[in-house]
Parts: sequence; structure tokens; C-alpha cells
Amino acid sequence: MTYGMLIDLSKCMGCRGCQVACKQWNDLPGEETSLGTDFTNPQKRSAYTWTTIDFLTAEVNGRTVATFTKSGCMHCLEPACESVCIAGAIKRQENGAVTIDHDKCIGCRYCQLGCPFGVPKYEYDKPVPRMQKCTLCYDRISEGLEPACAATCPSGAILFGEREELLALAKQRIAEGNGRYVDHVYGEHEAGGTAVMYISSVPLDLTTLNTGVTTESVPGFTWKAMRQLPALVGGAAVLSLGLMAYSNRRARLEAEQKGGGEA
Amino acid sequence: MTNHWNDYQNTDVFMVLGTNPAENHPISMRWIDKARETRGAKLIVVDPKFNRTAAKADLYVQIRPGTDIAFLGGLMNYAMTHGRYFHEYVAKYTNASYLIHPDFKFEDGLFSGAQVGEDGQVKYDTTTWQYQRDEEGNVRKDPTLTHPQCVFQLMKKHYARYTPEMVAETCGMSVEEFIEVAELFTSTGRPDKAGNIMYAMGITQSSHGSQNVRAVAMLQLLLGNIGIPGGGVNAHRGESNVQGSTDMAMLWNNLPGYLPMPSAAAHPTLEAYQATTPKSGYWSNRRKFMVSLLKAWWGENATAENDFAYDYLPKLDHRDHSHMSIFEAMGRGELKGLFAWGQNFAVGGPNVTRERSALANLDWLVVVDLFETETAAFWKGPGMNPEEIQTEVFLLPAAASYEKCGTVTNSGRWIQWRDKAVEPMGDAHDDLWIADRLYKKLRELYATEGGAFPDPILKLHWDYDDGDHPSAEKVAFEINGYTWDDRVGLTTFGNLQDDGSTACGCWIYSGYFDNFETPKCRSRVKDEPGTLGTHLGWAWAWPVNRRILYNRCSVDEHGQPWDPERPLFRWDGEKFIAQDVPDFVATNPPEVSAQNPFIMMQEGVGALWSPSGMKDGPIPEHYEPVESPVTNRLNKRQFNPVTIISGKGEFGQLTRAEDPNFPYICTTYRVTEHWQSGAMTRSLPWLGEMMPDMFVEISPSLAAKLGVQPGDRVEVTTVRGSLVAPAMVTPRMRPVRVHGREVEIVGMPWHWGFMGQFTGASANVLTPHVGDANTQIPEYKAFLCNVKKAGGSGPVRG
Ligand code: SF4
Ligand code: SF4
Repeated sequence: MTYGMLIDLSKCMGCRGCQVACKQWNDLPGEETSLGTDFTNPQKRSAYTWTTIDFLTAEVNGRTVATFTKSGCMHCLEPACESVCIAGAIKRQENGAVTIDHDKCIGCRYCQLGCPFGVPKYEYDKPVPRMQKCTLCYDRISEGLEPACAATCPSGAILFGEREELLALAKQRIAEGNGRYVDHVYGEHEAGGTAVMYISSVPLDLTTLNTGVTTESVPGFTWKAMRQLPALVGGAAVLSLGLMAYSNRRARLEAEQKGGGEA
Repeated sequence: MTNHWNDYQNTDVFMVLGTNPAENHPISMRWIDKARETRGAKLIVVDPKFNRTAAKADLYVQIRPGTDIAFLGGLMNYAMTHGRYFHEYVAKYTNASYLIHPDFKFEDGLFSGAQVGEDGQVKYDTTTWQYQRDEEGNVRKDPTLTHPQCVFQLMKKHYARYTPEMVAETCGMSVEEFIEVAELFTSTGRPDKAGNIMYAMGITQSSHGSQNVRAVAMLQLLLGNIGIPGGGVNAHRGESNVQGSTDMAMLWNNLPGYLPMPSAAAHPTLEAYQATTPKSGYWSNRRKFMVSLLKAWWGENATAENDFAYDYLPKLDHRDHSHMSIFEAMGRGELKGLFAWGQNFAVGGPNVTRERSALANLDWLVVVDLFETETAAFWKGPGMNPEEIQTEVFLLPAAASYEKCGTVTNSGRWIQWRDKAVEPMGDAHDDLWIADRLYKKLRELYATEGGAFPDPILKLHWDYDDGDHPSAEKVAFEINGYTWDDRVGLTTFGNLQDDGSTACGCWIYSGYFDNFETPKCRSRVKDEPGTLGTHLGWAWAWPVNRRILYNRCSVDEHGQPWDPERPLFRWDGEKFIAQDVPDFVATNPPEVSAQNPFIMMQEGVGALWSPSGMKDGPIPEHYEPVESPVTNRLNKRQFNPVTIISGKGEFGQLTRAEDPNFPYICTTYRVTEHWQSGAMTRSLPWLGEMMPDMFVEISPSLAAKLGVQPGDRVEVTTVRGSLVAPAMVTPRMRPVRVHGREVEIVGMPWHWGFMGQFTGASANVLTPHVGDANTQIPEYKAFLCNVKKAGGSGPVRG
């Protein structure tokens, strides 16, 4: 069974309860930030900020429009991140959550480059960096709870449930909305289908959703692109074998660190 | 609020005026959304800034700060002239038909009875605002509402000047926009529609704030929107328990339950105080509430013989003791010491640089808070020289909300008990513990050292001990009230007596905690779906668990609901079928209760006209904010003539209308991520990272004019001070067109200060020390400023 989330952007009011709830549940630290040109902050998602509300304020036909887009991992049905991960660390779980096994992750960042949404992020400041991203609150949903963001959302903008049911609900809302919604369920086909889906009452190009993303399943498509990747991440000499060795060293280092009493 | 949060699901048209629910009361959007989904409700947002609520609105209209009466008066005019008011409701349930004194007049911006002082300040003699009465003292009425001296016609005449064109010019909106709002909102002026007006500090923080609220209430009465499901005048209280603190007399001129505070000169005896008890309406029972209060406080020492210890009760002198007056007195060196208990006025107070300096005149200052706030650290703030400041500051660490138990009263008057979840950290203690220790120490000092008048302290009935900690439950039981002899909890204030046989700390709370095992404020039973969502089994709402105030108005004279789909009550020929606690005598036939649907009011009807409740007029009139970019076109008085202008001294700096040195309107507000003065939120990394820095919001057009790019630093100046912060440039802000001229609006949040993890300039260095004529709430929302490019870009911290 594939769980997922339906994010009804028409209901989101940008309160950012979800952004805080994510940090709270996942024990993520606050980051050093400073004022941006709008309210989005942290301005980019990172290893410590897995979901953000992206603010977009614009003038359209003489009127002001403001949108709030909850952004984060889409939990693809066929995740490119999983298919490019040479360490086999990323896995799409049976319940639909795409998770990273940190004992296996070697921090090569292939997944970040492979992901059509640029989701997995690197722990730049750690001696032993790993990739981090939203887990769909795998630990919570495995225990029958909703993800922390969905549980927090005061307006009901984030609905958690079975993907099929959410997709049907999305279509129902569009059909019965008297033109309130744009006739498109973002995530139904994007990147070959994702477990996180969106509906919106404003044209999607007024949100921060990536409207240019392919609707093809990404893994096959990605492999074509990924041929150039070793050059990108540190030269052709980086061999997967070497990376595995690194992975073992990382595990050792981490164990030492834990012994040293550091977090 | 007259209604309650869950009741928003019953609304047809929402008007958000001077509040920002999506940003400051996010949970309310759940109910607003439910009404939109299930009833096709519409959301109107009227605000100077395109805020996060505006982003969700069906209709957003920009309004110039401080012009709400022009707007609301325009809506009333529209409703009355287009017949879009609820005639039967207005005629039967309000004082629209009452005839007013023949000499009543409104001329040149003044109501009749104005006594103009030397300084131009006005005080009113309200004789000509009163009702006409026949020989027996009964009010003369004209049920047809056509007599030229009846309230309805006087209002019609008064607001005839508030044409759509005048409103548009004054408020900075287009005529079309105004008419669009007017059409949509007055569509609720009929039996089967419910309109809800939500407001908060955007309405109240004004030199005519009380009249703003009156105007909201009057519009709602005209439309028949009071006392019905989905309607109401709904104040969004700015803190989780600010309703509770007001109920418990946090205002200087109230006793708990809104009993008026006696005055030393006018009410030297209990008899003199009781003589002011209204003769009709529910307030005629005030005697019982007062005696029970005295009994709760002085217990066995309060007897019939000593007037229930009335002499022990502190009384008012002739002065005002609201926030601004206290600080002005402090500035003059008249105060020795001060408790800042969960208050951070060194960020939140108006003209805050002066208020911070005034604190230096204190001998001692006690701050009870979670962190070292700007108030506790005022002596090391910007421009302060610690060496010159002699004030001794005590900082008592307080427990946070999860570290203590007690009740919280929400905006809908629901009182809910919360248990303690965790122990306070370090030396922190809950407020009750601190108050209890403080009292016991004072008592000990009075007992051993005496004093001018020790009895009020020594003889207090203070019986809350439970082991080594005072019991919040025992306090709650006292507030609830009990019979003195056998200590049986009271279930309603109907059982209160004026002979000392009952004690009650706050009459309106009577019933919420009548026993220790299953007090109603702990109850958590929900209604079945498909009902009106009054949830009478969930918590307890004052008064008597009533969810919608004045709810007799939801049914017609014969007890039938105006809207059969929303039957809060229905008379079945013998009794009322009820979904709420009646605000009327439900055992009477409906034709009887129809005579006084507003039982708290002396006349028993809704007051479109206020003969004596207000200091500045029986009906609201538009005046400009004290600092305004334009002259008043609706009348010859520039600003509320009753507003107190101290004029002299360091707090008195004000800018005259149309001053070219201060061409822009300035306004202040809050954002979701921070809370009030930021005392709590600016020390939380998860909140701070989202809103790290103070900013100044300007429109793209003003930015272009100043040559400012987003993030560039700007200096904002008023006659009181200046600050530097980066500019936030988005089309959320836009200029308004006022009387043919384009005026820019500069907005900023007021959350920042120099303490905590996230620091920045305090907006209140700019705000004026001037306030509402009735309540003295400061005019934080509309004043004049100038803005210049300051050089450099990025945050300014510290
Ligand atoms: S959005 Fe990116 S990280 Fe998330 S599952 Fe899809 S490919 Fe993987
Ligand atoms: S909690 Fe809900 S309403 Fe608030 S920002 Fe997140 S998605 Fe939007």
C-alpha cells in the first residue's frame, strides 16, 4: 500500500506550523538565517531543513497575489534517487516512504543530482556527512500516526492517507469546486507519479512547484543524464569501490564519535 | 467575542477588519474554511496590508489605517438607504425606535453638549443624548422608525454624509471596491443569512478605538447579525488567555467580572456604590456580585456590620491609571516601584524610548518572566548609561505554560483547564507560587512592623495551601463561588446572595469549577456531527456555559428561528428546543422574552444609540488619527476631540496633519512566527530562523522612489525617534489614494528588541503616546513617518 500526502494549496495560509513540526519531530536544529526578499526562511532546504513554506508575492493584473507552497520530498513512486544510489542506501518502502539508510549512505550526492526536485541534501558541516531528506515521517506512519506536518496543519491543507484515495479526493475537489481549482493534480504524473500530490486554486506557475518537471518516470531518464555525473562530483577516478571503502571508514569514525560522547 | 471559534462554521459572509486570522489566529481558518466548503461562505478582508489572510480572501480591499468609522459608517449608510438591513430585527430588538432628546445635534464635528476646554479638549454633557420619556418614565418610541427624532432616523441622517464616494476618498479604496464589499456584506441583512465581523487591534488601537468597536456592533445590529449562529462581533484576543485576564480585572478601572471599580470620592461607602447599581436589566443584581466578591476576599472578616469590608477595597482616585498614564507618572518620578509580571513594555509600550527612560526613575523593578527581557535589561538598552541608573532590578524566573496548571479562557469565553506537563526548569516557579510567597511575606511584614493600614492585608481570606504549594484548584473554587457556611460550590451566579452567605471571586465564572472532582472546565464531550457545534459538554463558557451571547435574537417574536437551517432555539408551543443555554427566561412564552432580548442592557434591547456609555458621542463619527496625512473632510474636527493630548513634556511629541516632513502613514503589526514583544519567540531557534530580522515593509513604488532595493537598509523617522532596518519590498504594501493624493504606507512588525537570540530595532520607538478617548489604548496603528535610504543592506541586529 502506498501512503502519501495531498497538499491543498488553496487551504494553506503560510503559518509554517508544518515547518516547525518537522524540525521538532525530527530533532533538527534551527539554522543561521537572515532576512530574505520575502518570508521564505531558511531560504533553501538543507540537511537540517527538510520542508519549507516557499512564499511568492506578485502582482498579477494589478492585483496582489501571494502563495505559500509547502515544499519537500515528493516520495516518487519510482524514485530517481533510489535508482542512482550506488550504495543502495535509498529505498522506497512498501508504504511509499522513500528513506535513506544512513549506515549505507556514503554521502556521494548522486541522489541530490539525480532527484528531479533536488531534494536530498548534504551535511556540509559534518566530518562524516550523509544525505538527509524528508522521510514521510517513516517512524510515525509505521506506528499508525500521521506525519508531523500533517498532524500539525491547522487548516487541513496537508492530508495524509492512501495515495489512491487522496488522488480520488483531489479529483473530487477539483470536479466539485466550481472552478475553484486548477484542473491538475500535481504529482499524479509528474516524475512518473509521486506519493505527495498538490492541488491549487492559482495557476501552478504562481507557486514554487517545478512545473517544468518531466512526467516520464525519472529513473530511466536519469541514467542517461547521470553518465556525466562522476565528473561533477569529483572526477572520473572516483570509483564505486572506493566509495564503499569510504563508507566503512565513515561507520568507524561515527562509532568513535559516539564513544566520545558527541551527538 | 459574542460567538465562538467553532461557530464560524455557521457563517455566510466573513468580514475581517483589523485582525489577521491566518497570521495571528491560524486555527480560526479551519472554521472559516469549513464554512466556505460546506456553505459556500465568502471571506472579505479589509486591511492596509495584503496579509496572509488577504491571500486567502474572496475579496480583498485595502483601507487607509485609522479610517474604519468612515468605512463602517458608509456600510451603515448603504444598508439603510438601500433597504439592506433586517427591518423586523432592528425595529423589535434594538433601540432604533427610541426617541432622542429634541435638542440633540451634531455640528462641526461636535455632538451637542460639548464643553470645550482651554486646550481644545472636549468633555460632553450627555443630557441631549438621552431618550425622551413620558410622565411615567417610559421611553417614547416610534415602532415605524419614521419619527425624525428616533434613533434610526438620526442615524440615517448622520451617516447620509458617508456616501460611497466620501468613503472611497477617505479610506483610500475605489467606489467600486466599496460597493462590492457593501453588496456582499449587507447581503446578510436578512433572516436567513449570517454575517460575522472579526476584529482585533487594528480596530481598537486607535484614538477612536472604542467607537470603532461600536460601529462594528451597530452595523451588526442593523443587519440582524447579533445573537445568531454564524454572526457576531468577534474580537480575536491577542493572547491565549487575554480574555481570562480581562475577566479577572486586569484593567485598572474594573473589578473581576466587569464590576466597576469604586471611586474614593464618589463611593466612600458600600451604600454609595450600590446606589449606582442599574435599576433594570441583569446588572440590577450587581449588589449580590459585589458582596460575594468582598466575602471571597475578606471571608469571616467581611460582615454585614462592616459593610463586608468595603473599606478594605482599594478605590480609584481622580486620575487615570492606564498604561500610558502610569508611564507618564513614572516619567515625572511619581512611582517608586513596579512589577512587570509577564509584560515586556520596554518593547511593547508606545514611544518606547521614553518609556524605557521612565523606568530609570524607579527605585525598584520586579520582572517575572521566562527570559531576561528588554524590560528587565532596560538599563543596558540602546542609549542608556548603566552607571547613571539606580533602579534595582529583580528578575524572577517564571514557569512556562506547560509547567503549571490552571485555566485558559479563549476568545470565545471557553474556560479550559490545563494540567501541568513538566516541572519548571531551574529556579523557575509558577505565578501562583510567586504570588502566594509574596503575599505571605507582606503579611508577615505588616504583622511585625505594622503600617498605615495593615488590615486589608492582614485580614485577607487566604486559604489556598496544599502541602508546600498553593493549590490552583482552591483558587478556582473561590473564583467559582461557594456557600460560606458549608462550602458548597455554586453552579450559577443565580444563586449568589447579597447578605454574605455566598462568596464568589468572579460572578461570571460561577459554575465553571463548582467541585474538585469533575469541574466543568475539565469536561471534554463533543456534539454529534450535524449540529450547530455549540459543544455544551466541552469545557465551560461564561456566562452559565452560554456559547452565543444575546441568543434570544436568533428567533423571532414567536420563538421560531430566523433561519430554520440554524435552529439554535425553537419554541414548540410549550417549550424551547435548545442547542445553547438561553440568554433569556426560557420558561416564559416567547412573546414575553421578545421584549428584552438583550437582558444585560438596561432597556433590554441592542444599543444602536448609546445615551451614556461613551465619552465621545452616542454614535461614532469619523475623525482622523491624531497623526494623519490629510485634513478631515467629514467634519471640522481633525481628530477625536475627547482624546487626551498631553501636549507637553517628553511623551507629548506629535506631528500635525499634512506635515511635509513626515509624509507617509506608518502602521505596526505582528507576524505568525513571533509573539507580542518576542520575549518568548525571539529565544526559540525554530521560530527565529523563519523570521530572524526586523524589517520595514514598503511598496515597490516607494522603493523605486527612494532608490531602495529589497534588503537595503532604510531609516524610518517619526517626531519621536528613528530606527534602521532592511526594507522588505513586495506588492503586499501599496500606496492609497486619499482625497486625490497618493499616500504611501510603511508597515513594520513590532516584535524585536535588544535582548534574546534574535535582535533588532523596536518599532515602538516610533509610535505616539496618545490613545483612545474611552480606554486610553495607544494609537499604534496609524501615525506619520518619513523614510530614507540608510546606506548598506542586510539586517541590523542588537
Ligand atoms: S523527490 Fe527526490 S528525494 Fe524524494 S523520492 Fe523523489 S527522487 Fe527521491
Ligand atoms: S501548517 Fe498547513 S497551513 Fe500552515 S503552512 Fe503548513 S501547510 Fe500551510
